[in-house]
Amino acid sequence: MGTTVIPNAATSARASIVMQARGLVKRYGHVTALDGADFELRAGEILAVIGDNGAGKSSLIKALSGALIPDEGEMLLDGQVVHFRSPIDARRAGIETVYQELAVAPAMTIAENLFLGRELRRPGVLGRLFRMLDKERMLAESVAHMQALNIGIRSMKQAVETLSGGQRQGVAVARSAAFARHVVIMDEPTAALGVKESNMVLDLIRRVRDRGLPVVLISHNMPHVFALADRIHVARLGKRAAVLNPKTISMSDAVAVMTGARRAEELAPEELALSLIHI
Amino acid sequence: MEAPSTREKLAPLGRLGPLLALLAACAFFATQSDRFLTGDNLSLVLQQVMVVGVLAIGQTLIILTGGVDLSCGMVMALGGVVMTKLATEAGLPVPVAIAGGVAVTTLFGMVNGLLVTRVKLPPFIVTLGTLNIAFAITQLYSNAQTITDIPPSMTALGNTFQVGGTAVVYGVTLMLALYLLVWFALRETASGRHVYAVGNNPEATRLTGINTPRVLLGVYVIAGALYGVASLLSVARTGVGDPNAGQTENLDAITAVVLGGTSLFGGRGLVLGSLVGALIVGVFRNGLTLMGVSSVYQILITGVLVILAVTTDQLSRGGAR
Repeated sequence: MGTTVIPNAATSARASIVMQARGLVKRYGHVTALDGADFELRAGEILAVIGDNGAGKSSLIKALSGALIPDEGEMLLDGQVVHFRSPIDARRAGIETVYQELAVAPAMTIAENLFLGRELRRPGVLGRLFRMLDKERMLAESVAHMQALNIGIRSMKQAVETLSGGQRQGVAVARSAAFARHVVIMDEPTAALGVKESNMVLDLIRRVRDRGLPVVLISHNMPHVFALADRIHVARLGKRAAVLNPKTISMSDAVAVMTGARRAEELAPEELALSLIHI
Repeated sequence: MEAPSTREKLAPLGRLGPLLALLAACAFFATQSDRFLTGDNLSLVLQQVMVVGVLAIGQTLIILTGGVDLSCGMVMALGGVVMTKLATEAGLPVPVAIAGGVAVTTLFGMVNGLLVTRVKLPPFIVTLGTLNIAFAITQLYSNAQTITDIPPSMTALGNTFQVGGTAVVYGVTLMLALYLLVWFALRETASGRHVYAVGNNPEATRLTGINTPRVLLGVYVIAGALYGVASLLSVARTGVGDPNAGQTENLDAITAVVLGGTSLFGGRGLVLGSLVGALIVGVFRNGLTLMGVSSVYQILITGVLVILAVTTDQLSRGGAR
């Protein structure tokens, strides 16, 4: 499968930074999950986040998506300092998260799932006084959102449980892409899917990026990471060990950095996508 | 994309299943008794069903969220005793006495809701507890005595009006109006859709930013208020405040919801189905009585119907996995 190269995102350090975190610390009793972790997401890129279990990968992502409040450090969104106290705060700020466990309401329709929690009401008295939903508008906008990502599904009125796993994840991705203003975070979006279904979702993630939304992709699946990512953030021991360039580094070297067998300083400059000296 | 699955094709049939069962039961009893299809008899069925019917609305809301309310009948009995005692012994004006009774049932709904949302106890256990508490308070408060000499205006919903020569009880129209109201709210408003969403996938619903504890608490409080309306209908129907009311209605309300096709697993079902379910129970009781069948067999048949309905639910859910 071909990877679209966005030159500015992969190579130029000047590409504008959408989201940034500096020195995040999170301790749980004696366990330090985040030990001064940095993070940087550039406009128009897919940034993969990899790391062994316990490397601080999921804590980092939870901090970015508002599911965890860091003890120290700061986060910036479009240059503004942000403090998320809940995933709802992060969503309000324009960060949407897609979870691996297919977070949809199975018996409800595609249109209802897309607008769940963000329902549109009818104009005028019917909407204000009787709180009536504008089902037609939600249906029409659902069609538009799904078409924008090329998800071919017959009817927005069918229950999500009638869809395949990949199509269900497609609904979750479309919901995030429709409402995210700044960032889409994908937490192991293909973990619950088969090969064919995974490829469909990988294509979707590219389309989300190509429409201008930067994507943070958390994945254990190295081939998926290398197929999609413009840059690879390696989490290790609660810190950022390196940011790698998937065009030049080999998969085994990336794994070596992840496990600590190789250190960032030992890599060739072109294998890095962020010079650590400038941090 | 792909062709609709068998399940998808059968879905509309599944929704109509309870209605078809009701019509089949009516057709059967019409052949067994000349009196069954008379206007007076059908009006009687509606009258017998109205208390369970209103309880079943609240029960439907709770079951849609994936819970169950075992306390509904006992809470209703307490509401009936409170409102009749306030109107007789305390001598309060009837509207105030009614409001007092409804306030008590609503409070019970709120207690159920708070224990489910704040303490995160399973609804089954919570309402098993409040079932006993409501029953005990009812007996203590009434000294296990039936409250009589109710002001006539309190039983006004038990009066009748004429529809084409058939006497219909006012309470039946109130029940139907409540069904339409809740049907509208569940279908056409965001809050109604959130009730389904919570029952479908609570975690996914929470992650979309919906305040799921508030949805749940709201459902239990509204159910409690509906039980208060059922208290009033029960008082209107029997003409007394009966501390032993609600004992058959308690489980009949759950039976009606299940027969109406609402899934005990939550998230799927229709409130109008519960009306059909309540009517199925009512029609079987009435029809079998007209046929001279002993009431023990009525209970037996109700039990078999419940098992059939839950089996259908389980199998259709299994097919979705």
